[in-house]
Amino acid sequence: MHEARVNTNSTDQHAIQPWQPLAQQAAFRHVLEAFSYPGRVVSLGAAPNDTLTMLLATLVDAGVTLADPLNQVSADDRRRLDAQLALPDRAQFVVSQGAHVPDYQPVLGTLESPEHGATVIVCVESLGEGARLDLTGPGIDGETTLHVAGMAPGWWIQRSRWNTSFPMGVDLILVAGRRLVALPRTTRIQVKGAH
Amino acid sequence: MNPGYELPQDEAGYSFGFLDEFAKREIRRTLLKAISIPGYQTPYASREMPMGRGFGTGGLQLTLSLIGPGDTLKVIDQGADDSVNAVNLRHFVELTCPGVDTTERTHEATLIQSRHRIPERALTEQQVLVLQVPYPDPLVIVEPSEARRKVMHGEGDYSRLLTKLYEDIVQFDEITISHRYPTRINGHYVIDPSPIPRYDVPRLHQSRALVLLGAGREKKIYAVPPYTDAMPLVFDDVPFRIEDFRDGQGHRRACSRCGATDSFLDEMIADDGSKTWQCSDSDYCNETLATRTAQIEVTA
Repeated sequence: MHEARVNTNSTDQHAIQPWQPLAQQAAFRHVLEAFSYPGRVVSLGAAPNDTLTMLLATLVDAGVTLADPLNQVSADDRRRLDAQLALPDRAQFVVSQGAHVPDYQPVLGTLESPEHGATVIVCVESLGEGARLDLTGPGIDGETTLHVAGMAPGWWIQRSRWNTSFPMGVDLILVAGRRLVALPRTTRIQVKGAH
Repeated sequence: MNPGYELPQDEAGYSFGFLDEFAKREIRRTLLKAISIPGYQTPYASREMPMGRGFGTGGLQLTLSLIGPGDTLKVIDQGADDSVNAVNLRHFVELTCPGVDTTERTHEATLIQSRHRIPERALTEQQVLVLQVPYPDPLVIVEPSEARRKVMHGEGDYSRLLTKLYEDIVQFDEITISHRYPTRINGHYVIDPSPIPRYDVPRLHQSRALVLLGAGREKKIYAVPPYTDAMPLVFDDVPFRIEDFRDGQGHRRACSRCGATDSFLDEMIADDGSKTWQCSDSDYCNETLATRTAQIEVTA
């Protein structure tokens, strides 16, 4: 077997971490936890600037389509992901931003194949402070509270519109710094407090 | 598996967990959709595994996509850690996932792959249960076309399945499904919960642990998320019943080995025709036995 060359330079270590299989495995378990327990804030264990890259590297490859209308993924990372680029109303994965209320409707899936409903990744300012959301639904023991800063109120209106006809719908992942939270289509959200 | 067999790791260069990273990523994406749509049979590209389909390849592919160094895996078959299917699957994971621990104790495991049983000991939020599924679709007995079944599932239309259950009651005074009892998840999709006994169905309801179901041959993955309703399909006037372990006098039978009266029992028939009952969950039986022995020692 070939001896792998390991670069000990720490910045390079950070840069390659999201592309390593075992880092992706560990990150996936955190994403799985986030989807299993909506509203629970998890950390992927990547550097703050790398969380989005880590998340994308874990879930996206040449087998899926990706939309990045606000150019939040660097050209290098896009090339490494190797996903086919698509418009946000066609893509399986959409990278978006909390400040920009979407003017598109992501794929919702069909009654027979609701799994085609898109996963929308929203970069927000902060999780744990800001507007208060009361969450109920599968994965939540009774009710839980989530605070999100930097998510325009229009997002919640759009989300409830997309998710009116279960099983069709859109699953959200909110990313801020090192942390992320998942809001699958089954989570019912009541928005409280100022934004 | 041949005990002398060694995976030719040097020549083949298998990746951690045997599956290639594309296969794992595809299963991981499917898992997230399966959790987001509780009970929906999410299609995925089931890969060839070095064992026959029908031997737990669906569950194994889920386990291999989830597992990493630091995980502790428990594999059970009909409640036991030492039956053929469990031993082989555990051995395969030990071969292909260096750095992973295995255990026979439910409470030590972070990941539990199981065939036909849910452990007696209540699972926690730190654990994930993977069930091996032979037949994922409960509607297959009433509708042969998968395209039509998908519409029926989407619409939550289970009238024909209920008719089948009703016919059972008319003919036999009882719903005659002993295992794989159709169970409605989050008030919408009805799943085949894999061949677990009726006794285990209530454990799916509002479970603390995530439950994942993998059907390798049928290429489907579905999930019962934690804290989610899982209700067996019944009629208002015919309540759901679990297995009855009472003897002729109405006493609950005890395990002949550990004495437990609160576990699912297997019936053993000896050569002379006599019957004994024993815990199906071997870890639970061992634990109860150890506790009893310790108590006897203290009092002695």
